[in-house]
Amino acid sequence: MTTQTPTRPRAAVASGITVKDRVIAVFPLLVLIVLVLLVLTQQPNFLSIASVRGLLESMAPILLLAIGQTFVILTGGIDLSFAVVSSLSTVLLALWLPDMGVGALILVPILACLTGVLTGTVVAFAQIPSFIVSLGAMGLWTGVALTLSSASTIRISAGYDVIGWVTDMRIGGLPVSALIAILLAIIISVAIRVLSRGRALHTMGLAENALLMSGNPTRAYRILAFALCGLFSGLAGVVLASSQYSGGPSLGDTLMLPAIAAVVIGGNAITGGVGGPLKTLVGALIIVVLRVGLNAIGIDPAYEQIIYGAVIIGAVVLTIDRSRLGIVK
Amino acid sequence: MTDTVLEVRNLRKEFRGVVALDDISFELRRHEVVGLIGENGAGKSTLLKVLSGIYKPDGGEILREGKKVTFRTAAESAAAGIGMVHQEQSLVTSISVAENIFLGVEGAGVAAGVYRWGTLRKLAQDQLDKIGSPISPKTRVEHLTFAERQMVELAKALSVEERADSEPVIVLDEPTSVLEGDELEVLFDQIDRLRKFASIVFVSHRLDEVLRVSDRVYVFKDGQCVAVRDRSEVDVDELHRLMVGRESTAEFYHEAKQTAVIGEPVLMEVSNLGKTKAFEDVNFTLRAGEVVGITGVLGSGREELSRVLFGAEGFDQGSITLGGKTVGLRSPVEAVRAGIGYIPAERRIEGIAQGLSVQENIFLADPSTVSAGPFLKPRAAAAAADEWIRKLKIKTPNRGTNISNLSGGNQQKAVLAKWLTSPKLKVLILDHPTRGLDVGAKEDVYGFIRELCARGIGVILLADTLEETIALSHTILVMRDGRVQQTFDAHPGNKPRPVDLVEGMV
Amino acid sequence: MSQSGPQVADSPATGTPSRASSPTPPDPTAPSGFARVRGLIGGGGPAVALVVLIAFFSIATPNFFSVSNASSLLSQLSILLVISIGLTFVILLGSLDLSVEGVMASSSLVFVLLAANDRNDLSLGFVALIAGVLTGSLFGLLNGVLHVYLKVPSFMVTLGTGAIGVGLATVLFGGRAPRLMDDGLRGLGFGNVGIFPKLALIAILVLIVALLVQKFTRVGRYGYAIGGDEPVVRLSGVNVERYKVLSFVLAGTGSGIAGVMAAMQLGVGDVSIGAGFQFTAITAVVLGGTALVGGIGGVGKTLVGAAIITVLANGLILLGVNPYVQISVQGLVIVVAVVATGWSLRKRVRAIK
Repeated sequence: MTTQTPTRPRAAVASGITVKDRVIAVFPLLVLIVLVLLVLTQQPNFLSIASVRGLLESMAPILLLAIGQTFVILTGGIDLSFAVVSSLSTVLLALWLPDMGVGALILVPILACLTGVLTGTVVAFAQIPSFIVSLGAMGLWTGVALTLSSASTIRISAGYDVIGWVTDMRIGGLPVSALIAILLAIIISVAIRVLSRGRALHTMGLAENALLMSGNPTRAYRILAFALCGLFSGLAGVVLASSQYSGGPSLGDTLMLPAIAAVVIGGNAITGGVGGPLKTLVGALIIVVLRVGLNAIGIDPAYEQIIYGAVIIGAVVLTIDRSRLGIVK
Repeated sequence: MTDTVLEVRNLRKEFRGVVALDDISFELRRHEVVGLIGENGAGKSTLLKVLSGIYKPDGGEILREGKKVTFRTAAESAAAGIGMVHQEQSLVTSISVAENIFLGVEGAGVAAGVYRWGTLRKLAQDQLDKIGSPISPKTRVEHLTFAERQMVELAKALSVEERADSEPVIVLDEPTSVLEGDELEVLFDQIDRLRKFASIVFVSHRLDEVLRVSDRVYVFKDGQCVAVRDRSEVDVDELHRLMVGRESTAEFYHEAKQTAVIGEPVLMEVSNLGKTKAFEDVNFTLRAGEVVGITGVLGSGREELSRVLFGAEGFDQGSITLGGKTVGLRSPVEAVRAGIGYIPAERRIEGIAQGLSVQENIFLADPSTVSAGPFLKPRAAAAAADEWIRKLKIKTPNRGTNISNLSGGNQQKAVLAKWLTSPKLKVLILDHPTRGLDVGAKEDVYGFIRELCARGIGVILLADTLEETIALSHTILVMRDGRVQQTFDAHPGNKPRPVDLVEGMV
Repeated sequence: MSQSGPQVADSPATGTPSRASSPTPPDPTAPSGFARVRGLIGGGGPAVALVVLIAFFSIATPNFFSVSNASSLLSQLSILLVISIGLTFVILLGSLDLSVEGVMASSSLVFVLLAANDRNDLSLGFVALIAGVLTGSLFGLLNGVLHVYLKVPSFMVTLGTGAIGVGLATVLFGGRAPRLMDDGLRGLGFGNVGIFPKLALIAILVLIVALLVQKFTRVGRYGYAIGGDEPVVRLSGVNVERYKVLSFVLAGTGSGIAGVMAAMQLGVGDVSIGAGFQFTAITAVVLGGTALVGGIGGVGKTLVGAAIITVLANGLILLGVNPYVQISVQGLVIVVAVVATGWSLRKRVRAIK
């Protein structure tokens, strides 16, 4: 009575990786190389040990913040409170190092991690977009930092030894803070590859519903991402407090834009699921080389903000996966 | 003026290689009510979406009052005088009734960019008066009941008349699914009034209602129009026979492989299970190797039941025991831990993880068989993935291919593999497992269901069609209005007829 | 076929109908003036909270309920109100504008540098004022176009353009704040008319215009509809993109006006002229009762929200409470308000980024 028309199954494409994916994967690295070459034409000694040391020193806190943010962005969310948490961490360190010593160095990153747990828990259980929750958290921790510090910078005198090595120690002439940050990026990349659930955060960003409907604890994954972001913000706070010999209620705030810019220009998609800490490392290098480069060709540092803003928008426009967006708000 | 107000000739529409509309021809005459019936996936909704400009047809043509037309947007369709009352209600709840009726086409209600509220409300009142509705145009839609919203939808659909040169065509897509008792009568009265100046397409799964209001009935099946009947020449049974169509082919469903499950151990026991506003007092047992089919129309509660059984929604009465132990099923995580698997109807959102490889999808639920502690054994995983691809005949270039690039059938096989890899699996819930698949892929899925049973896994099946339910199940629960109305034994040789099930459904 | 994404499936505004069966709400007589005002500002919680706060501070502090403090309250309220009103149009869409501080900085500097000032020889008078405001409108246009046509989430776009605004202001700033030397222009916003601060008069004018736009124009009406259910509005043939962009232009214009107002008040153009306003303005909008999911709220409600924040800030300072605590409280208010409106929509299976 009925005849089903035979349908030919759609020919499967040879590979899931599109040309666009390949370009996005290689593009940041090319940008970095071109930038370095350009700067070299202006400053031939740009790759000297002293110059690289300075570069890496300024990169360390940005990279730590950016790695933390990478976890959240992989899940498709964002934590706008991360830079403020690093500022709060410097304040807490400045207040507690004199009395607690090493205890403060351990306690502060744990507390920073807990701020992430709090944000992540609200996002996961109340099911509210992360940019709103973390915006609220940003206000909350700004107020706390200002109150605890009476809105002023606190010099760290007693107890500085506990964090001083972060700035002073060199391995092969390079600052230990940046080396630790780079090492962390590599360790996390390896973990993503070798663990059976290593790509859980990527999958959160790509297909959270499918992940949950396969029996995975998606709420726990989400909270984990924010907790790691908090932890790395705390570590960034340690580096900042060490390099500035002080804690201040807005010490890390100015790093918010460069850190987000580092994440997105490295090729991590803001829609989640695509990226990793090595991409973020490339992004962070681009940002610091760019800063030096602008200086070298004589551009006023006043333009820096404009460039961060443009870089963030441009990188997001290029990497965003529009096929997976329903309504954009 | 011709006597045919709307005609469709040889319409064709495909989605990712699956034919949704196959050479459909359809005609609506002046002041006529035409009924449109068919099972899920028969092509009714697709036809309506083509008519309302939401989908672009791949072939064929549409004629309005004898003239060829193409609708690129919903607004163009409305401008041609075709008014839609959608199945999912399409009113914006945050604005007023008047604004909704004229959304985007305010006409005299907005002059020189300024809202003339008096005029807009008056115009809306005119539309509401047409159907005799007492709703105030000033009311915000969020304050209306579903039945009242349905009336506003109708008024909105009728307003196309004001802007088109021709008499309106009103399309009612499942308008009765949210209405009850008196509200239904009101709707039928309105249809009788409307037919004096409009032509109407009435889509419903309630066959008695279709017969009551329609002059002619089109029967759709598998994307084709299989019959057109005048009201005088058919009854409900006949319509149903036409809708379900072909005689059940035992081979297609691998019926020979179905084995009896009498005396097998009980895997799952559901007692007095209830969820407020969805279903209540559901009882059944599932034995090893048994397929329990649950059937019922939209709103019968079976979709909610299947999601409750996987922990994706909560229940508030009764209990579920699995292997003799009571389980809370507070989340899918608990369900999977307890040995329950789920193949969702929303395959592309809840089934596959788009963007991950075929291999990653296969081990999404349980990587334990290819792991050492927390670490993945890459070679073992690759070998196991290749083995599943071979065993389930998944057509993919290789295990690393992004699963989004596979056809629907092959995606579904990967979802099936995801559960088969788990040694813990005891019960598998299949929610419309063949939806959107072509015939070959459907047959493969039927074969796998038989194999699952042979492995002693219990299957809970929500099938697309009654045929599927009858052929695949050992036991069939018929649900209506949140309750199990009837339970059929459907062992080989004892299969009920589709008509028997329909009695309990509507 | 399946929905394009989970967001489409749970349209937030489509709740269970609240009234069981009342075909027409009782509406026989024209609403009284009081009822009209209630409808506008939303009545209920926020308005009551405002009255309670005013009563509390009047009793608790001797200086709160005085003509001079009322005048200073109005002056403090003015700039916040103008920003919040603009922001309301964007939040009604369910979007967000995080570029307020950058836009205010740029528009204040454009205004001052084009008017008579101590940096250059320009003295364009009213043209300077209009240029300052238009700077904000242009930023709004940029925000809207980037967000709507390139489909970048609004918070991300405006984070970027906000930085661009600060950068532009920094370049214009050039190390020292330029002073506004045009006394006529400055006089528009500086000082009082009777006990009324001139800034408050500007804010009232903006409020009236915004109320009219919201009630009588397509951008105002469609904003509610788009925020409530964008796919349906699109299906109705409305050019959703155009009205979304226009809403962002309104928000940018609000920030632009606010930047000019602040420059009149302080007599300088400054990079940090908008510092702290971003956060307070979002809090004011949310506190007034405009939901961040979109579709619900309005400019009238924002007036109440901004008034609450201003009264609270002023009263707490008079009580001697640490002002920084207020920033924390505002952060909590945003989260609590959003959690409260979204709590009933939670589902076990729902993806929210």
